[in-house]
Amino acid sequence: MVDLLFYVAAAVSVLCALGVVVSANPVQSVMMLLGSFTGIALIYLLAGFQFLAAIQILVYGGAIMVLFLFVVMLLNQGDPVALAREQGVLHKEQLAGGLAVAGSALAVLLVAVARTDLPRPIFGYLWPEGGLDPLLGMAQAMFGPYVLAFEGASVLLLATAVGVMTLAKRQRNKPVAAASTSEEASA
Amino acid sequence: MSFVIILIKASLIYGGLLGTAAAMTLAERKISAWMQLRIGPNRVGPGGVLQPLADGVKFIFKEEVTPDGANKGLFRLGPIMAAAPAMLTIAVIPFAGETTIFGIDFGLLSLTDLDIGLLFVLALSGLSVYGVILGGWASNSKYSLLGGLRASAQMVSYELSLIMTALTVVALSGSMNLREIVEVQNTGNFLDWHCFTPVVGQVGLILFVITTFAETNRHPFDFAECEPELVGGFHTEYSSMKFALFFLGEYCAMTVMACLTTVLFLGGYSVPFWEDAPWIVQVGTFMTKTAFFLFLFIWVRWTLPRFRYDQLMNLGWKIFFPIALANLLLAGAVISLS
Repeated sequence: MVDLLFYVAAAVSVLCALGVVVSANPVQSVMMLLGSFTGIALIYLLAGFQFLAAIQILVYGGAIMVLFLFVVMLLNQGDPVALAREQGVLHKEQLAGGLAVAGSALAVLLVAVARTDLPRPIFGYLWPEGGLDPLLGMAQAMFGPYVLAFEGASVLLLATAVGVMTLAKRQRNKPVAAASTSEEASA
Repeated sequence: MSFVIILIKASLIYGGLLGTAAAMTLAERKISAWMQLRIGPNRVGPGGVLQPLADGVKFIFKEEVTPDGANKGLFRLGPIMAAAPAMLTIAVIPFAGETTIFGIDFGLLSLTDLDIGLLFVLALSGLSVYGVILGGWASNSKYSLLGGLRASAQMVSYELSLIMTALTVVALSGSMNLREIVEVQNTGNFLDWHCFTPVVGQVGLILFVITTFAETNRHPFDFAECEPELVGGFHTEYSSMKFALFFLGEYCAMTVMACLTTVLFLGGYSVPFWEDAPWIVQVGTFMTKTAFFLFLFIWVRWTLPRFRYDQLMNLGWKIFFPIALANLLLAGAVISLS
């Protein structure tokens, strides 16, 4: 049952990831990416990482993809499908280049997986009999041994956000009186 | 046997949710009529109680219109994404403690008992924004698009305050499991309910209730619809059952949010002065508390005027979010001192 669900989730995430690249319509691509993330969340769930699965949906599905969609819609000029038909989505050279990059990445990944000594039955193996408290373990690791790295990463992210704001605001000569609400939202 | 019990629970809980949503459409009209000295729907059945059923029949027989230039797939996906998350989240709400009916052990009266129950609710309710955005974008209409964009900005903004406020309760009870959150408050003394925790509880409750209004796109925050400016907002182009599904989703989301407020702040199914009350009393208590919040949704809608959009954003980012953060900090201080 777990195996079957794993293959379904894996197929969904791979097919959706393909859909992201193939679909001509950017909004459809974003929705495909959402599907791919959902598939990955399901795999986390099958491996016993409930917390990670919920965070995947909450952060990527609920926040980041919404912002993607928001930006894609704001930038949407004209009919994307007609545009794609005019220009052609994939030229032969582009297709070849993309396949080469994807193929080599896959090869590297396969070699890495083959060389790593993974515990054989990955699913149904990681969590002990009575189930594990996913929150407690995560919190203890994050605020125990890794607290410096965790805080460092958050400071880095904050610095990035401030930097982006500064760069974006500098290009504007005059401050616009009614600062648009969409910027506040994406900040 | 356990499969049968789950099936019974599922049909009761989902039947109850859909029934509540249908009843809310009637209650909304009845209460608004009462507040405005009108009579309200009274033609279908005694006192108009069958009105939701009549509405359902009407919606099914209406013609479905898909506008020219609409993106067909996403246009169909919109209402589904609006209704499905709200309906899924009810699965982790505990309606009563350990329950035995006619000698059959039903266990906890909720569909599942997840360790990350609260996160599950927050994650899925975060997905309901897709219904609004997709519906708005795929309709190929400027009013719909504006409604969708406004809603996405609004829901993402207020989600932060919502999560921060919910985290206050998690900190107070030391768990994300909704059953454990209720059990911490279920001591027989109603002063142990989180809403009676000095300062932190009251601020949290008020913030949480107001942000749920914004999350469900209800008055005074219903900019996704906003009839005077946007015709009908994101669902301008929808008709027939697709339109009804948006409404059903909205009322289901309201019901779930009312349940969640009850669980987080009002002790869920805990009965004052009666720690181990029989399940039927617990369910009754839970429903009474939830019904109050549902009434509050309607009460506020027909009392307050709508905000302006910049006021809404300022309120969310400059007032609610800092207060929610400070409240979380205060909760931490309270816990470490006690």
